[in-house]
Amino acid sequence: MPDALLWLPLGLSLIAAGLAALWGLPTVNRRLTNTRAAWLLALMPLAAFLFLLFRLPPVLAGSGLIWRQAWMPSLDITATLYLDGLSMLFALLVSGIGTLVVIYSGYYFRGDAGAWRFLCYLLLFMTTMLGLVLAGDVITLFVFWEGTSVTSFLLIGYKTKDEEARRGAFKALFITGGGGIALLAGLLFMAVLAGGTDYATLLHRRDVLISTPLYPVVLGLIAFCAFTKSAQTPAHIWLPAAMVAPTPASAYLHSATMVKAGVYLLARLYPALGGTELWFAVLTVFGLLTMLTGAYLGLKQNDLKALLAYSTVSQLGAMVMLVGAETAVAFKAVIVGILAHALYKGALFLLVGIVDHETGTRDLRRLGGLRGTMPRTAIVTIPAALSMAGLPPLFGFLAKETLLASVTHPQLPPLIGTLLTAAAVMAGALLLAQAGLLLSDVFFGRPRDPHIHGHEPPRGMLVAPAILTALSLILGLLPEPIPLATLIAVAAKAAYGATVKVSLAIWAGITVPFVLSIVAVSLGGLIWGFRHPLRRRQEALWPWLRLDAVYEGVWQGLMGVARLSTRSQAGQLRRYLILMLLALTTMMLLWGDLPRPTTLGSEPLDDLTLLRVFTLVLATGAAALSIFLVRDFFAILALSVSGLGVAVIMALEPAPDVALVQIVVDLLSVVLLTLALAIIPREQRRRAWEFTFRQTRWGLVRDGLIAGAGGVAIAILTLAALIARPRTSIVTPYYEANAKSLAGASDIVGAIIVDFRGFDTLIEILVFSLGGLGVFALLRYATRRERRQAEMLLASSAGENPSLAPGTSELHDKLVMGIGGIRPSPFIRMLAQVLLPLMMVVAIVQMMYGHEQAGDGFTAGVIISLIIAFWYVAFGYEETRRQLPWLQPFPLVGMALTLALGNGLVAAMLSGSFFGRVDYGQWLGLGLPRGFSFSSSFVFELAICLTVLGGVALMLAALGHPQDKR
Amino acid sequence: MLDLLKALTIGAMFGIGLFQLLRRNVIRSAIGLMVLTNAVNLFLLMTGAYRGRVAAYVTLSGERSDALPQALVLTAIVIGMAGFVLVLAMLYVLALRYRTADADDIDELKH
Repeated sequence: MPDALLWLPLGLSLIAAGLAALWGLPTVNRRLTNTRAAWLLALMPLAAFLFLLFRLPPVLAGSGLIWRQAWMPSLDITATLYLDGLSMLFALLVSGIGTLVVIYSGYYFRGDAGAWRFLCYLLLFMTTMLGLVLAGDVITLFVFWEGTSVTSFLLIGYKTKDEEARRGAFKALFITGGGGIALLAGLLFMAVLAGGTDYATLLHRRDVLISTPLYPVVLGLIAFCAFTKSAQTPAHIWLPAAMVAPTPASAYLHSATMVKAGVYLLARLYPALGGTELWFAVLTVFGLLTMLTGAYLGLKQNDLKALLAYSTVSQLGAMVMLVGAETAVAFKAVIVGILAHALYKGALFLLVGIVDHETGTRDLRRLGGLRGTMPRTAIVTIPAALSMAGLPPLFGFLAKETLLASVTHPQLPPLIGTLLTAAAVMAGALLLAQAGLLLSDVFFGRPRDPHIHGHEPPRGMLVAPAILTALSLILGLLPEPIPLATLIAVAAKAAYGATVKVSLAIWAGITVPFVLSIVAVSLGGLIWGFRHPLRRRQEALWPWLRLDAVYEGVWQGLMGVARLSTRSQAGQLRRYLILMLLALTTMMLLWGDLPRPTTLGSEPLDDLTLLRVFTLVLATGAAALSIFLVRDFFAILALSVSGLGVAVIMALEPAPDVALVQIVVDLLSVVLLTLALAIIPREQRRRAWEFTFRQTRWGLVRDGLIAGAGGVAIAILTLAALIARPRTSIVTPYYEANAKSLAGASDIVGAIIVDFRGFDTLIEILVFSLGGLGVFALLRYATRRERRQAEMLLASSAGENPSLAPGTSELHDKLVMGIGGIRPSPFIRMLAQVLLPLMMVVAIVQMMYGHEQAGDGFTAGVIISLIIAFWYVAFGYEETRRQLPWLQPFPLVGMALTLALGNGLVAAMLSGSFFGRVDYGQWLGLGLPRGFSFSSSFVFELAICLTVLGGVALMLAALGHPQDKR
Repeated sequence: MLDLLKALTIGAMFGIGLFQLLRRNVIRSAIGLMVLTNAVNLFLLMTGAYRGRVAAYVTLSGERSDALPQALVLTAIVIGMAGFVLVLAMLYVLALRYRTADADDIDELKH
């Protein structure tokens, strides 16, 4: 059933994340306390939760809701969201618990002005997690899957200054990220084999998928990914390390939602990949192992959060084991288990966070007897812990009963069934002991550390855990919560494929599971009774067995390889060039297959050919001259001549547009280079000349050899390319045929730039403005430093200190006089003033008629920039800034990019395609001069011009004068 | 014959650019980068498919030059300039910070 609003939960939480970021603005942050802001932000996930509740009736009736958006039609990929029972259950958990955690975070971080960052990450995580469970195709699934890994990384490493937090965050990202890569490979295999990325196709191709020889590979990849995310042994090591995260994140991501994504993935793909012996074997073995490892290690922990983390690992193992078991009751057990675990474990994490917050520690060996000072917290904790223990009448009891019912299911092979049953009973007993440990050693008994004085948290902080605990209690006590039973049945059916009967009555008579439950409880009670000696024994047992050592080993190995590859970077340009040349030559010799110039063809010796030959020689000769000229300034002039020669070659090609741009760029580059030259103190330049011209003979010969070899290689390559080039083009005829009709331009090159490949140009001008920003950022530091020195210098000279060093007096000159220390004549100044408006007119004409002849927005921008550079020379920095107040780099660039994007969007609305051509003049009914059309292309040209102006203004402001007062 | 001359020109300019780039004087390095950019742009432009007799305008008849490499080179020139200016800025920072225009004096950038 299509549902046009299915993206709404994602949108709401994304908006909430944006609002949280907005709350980070100092002015907003000062006016809003953390608790109030958190309550306000919680409205968004609450709205998402309510939206999902309203969608409950159709989902319970058994129909899935679908939302589609074309994404990459050429690859046949559609972004799809899909809401059925399974996704509904997860989405309700994510948005519901998310709401509570946001409220709780406000109290947890009270008084911390940086809390907005945490909430922003948390809400971003909520968005990606909702996307993960609502995804309706594997590509969308993958994108959001990676999103959860990244946001989890950010949340674990929230305390960026804490070494351990960074390490934990990286460990989690390393392991789950590795799983993500496996997921991508596995999903792509599946999509290719099944012939579609959509669940609707994928899930009905089980016969194809399980019969290919690739099935073990696909299953291995998917299972690997699910195991890393859901912390299955041996990948579980990241979860305890992730406990350095702030407790709300631990409660939300690392117990209630994200860690169950692996289970969700397995359950979701069960119809496509499950039901085979391999599936059963892999999932049962890893699930069983994880269940026992987690339960065993949990008892050993002293840190309350670590204890909860290991019991989470154990529960996740049980869920994976159940998904492997392929019976209806097992799937019921998975769903009930997910729900029960989210409710009690989420609550317990939040409560441990309160204990930690109010006492300052979460070490079991130091806590005790908090019942007296924190009675309300104790009351909320008791039912949650009892639910974890699996005692009636709490919901956790039901989860354990269903788990026991599915491991004793007669369909399992007897031996395996016995093994699973024994393991489940053992794990259940250990979990009960841990829940008991948590209650008895934190809230009861005598206080162990006299320095610890707990006090009650603010009431609002208890709201979130109390609601979760109350749900554990109510769901267990209600005789038959019908809608919930239906939801569980629908969710289990979505995964299992066939109808699953669900009854949530807590008392089902004296059955096998009930008897086993009693065994588990008594065993657990026994373990709890002997907890102190047992925990001491555990401490002493196998101290060398550390899985983290394996991770550390892999990590060190990776770092070693990285160091090795860094060492090969000598940082010497010469060596890189030699290597590149060697590689190029080898490739040319081995695979080049260069065509032999048999006939070089001869051109008629007319004037044009002579001109060509002349300019070619001129460009080369001037470039060569730049080597031999001793003074830098003359070398720059020679470079300019060479560049202009290149422009003439281009014009003779004939490529007038390119030639024009080459001319203006050449001029501007030379101006900027000259300005840079003026900045470097003469003393330094003199030293550099000496280096250049008194280099050892061997050094010159070596460089000459490298350059010569490079030149020869390039010459051969060019000759080969020129001879072998095809004489027909596939692409160009299209542009030639459509330039007039589609782009309204006679100039084909111009049409390609602003129309056919307008998007490229947009990115190009973005790069250009980024270049300007880079210059600005680089120079801000340097000039600030120099200014400080200059001020000191001026102060000392004002004090008539005669001891000015020769190198620094020049700096003084520059500061007082202007560029080069020369005051230009009045004639030059007048020229500058006259030329500015004139050049602007030229630039505007360039843009107006750019479609008919050579010239475009870029040229126009550079022309204006050139005259502004002239102003800098004539008037100096301060005067130019004062007389041209409109020359503000940042507003110019911002305006230009907004204009370009806005133009693209307006054109998209009017013509139907982004950057499509719209003739605004015609549209508005304006009478315009012939040959000029006020079209979207013109606006784009204008935007390009403004970007260039802004970018060059940044560069000029930075290079133009050291005396700048930013 | 002209092809050979073009190839030689581009090769020579490339070699000159490399030689200048290797100078210890950073201003010469900037000049070298510029020459190198020009050589590469020329190369790209000359790989166009058509034997151009007239410019690439719809209004002109005759064998036009290839518009595609021209548009690409136009973009390349612009980006090349942005890169060049960035190099200039680095040069400036180096000059101020290390009080030298000699590339071999600067050995702290690796770390």
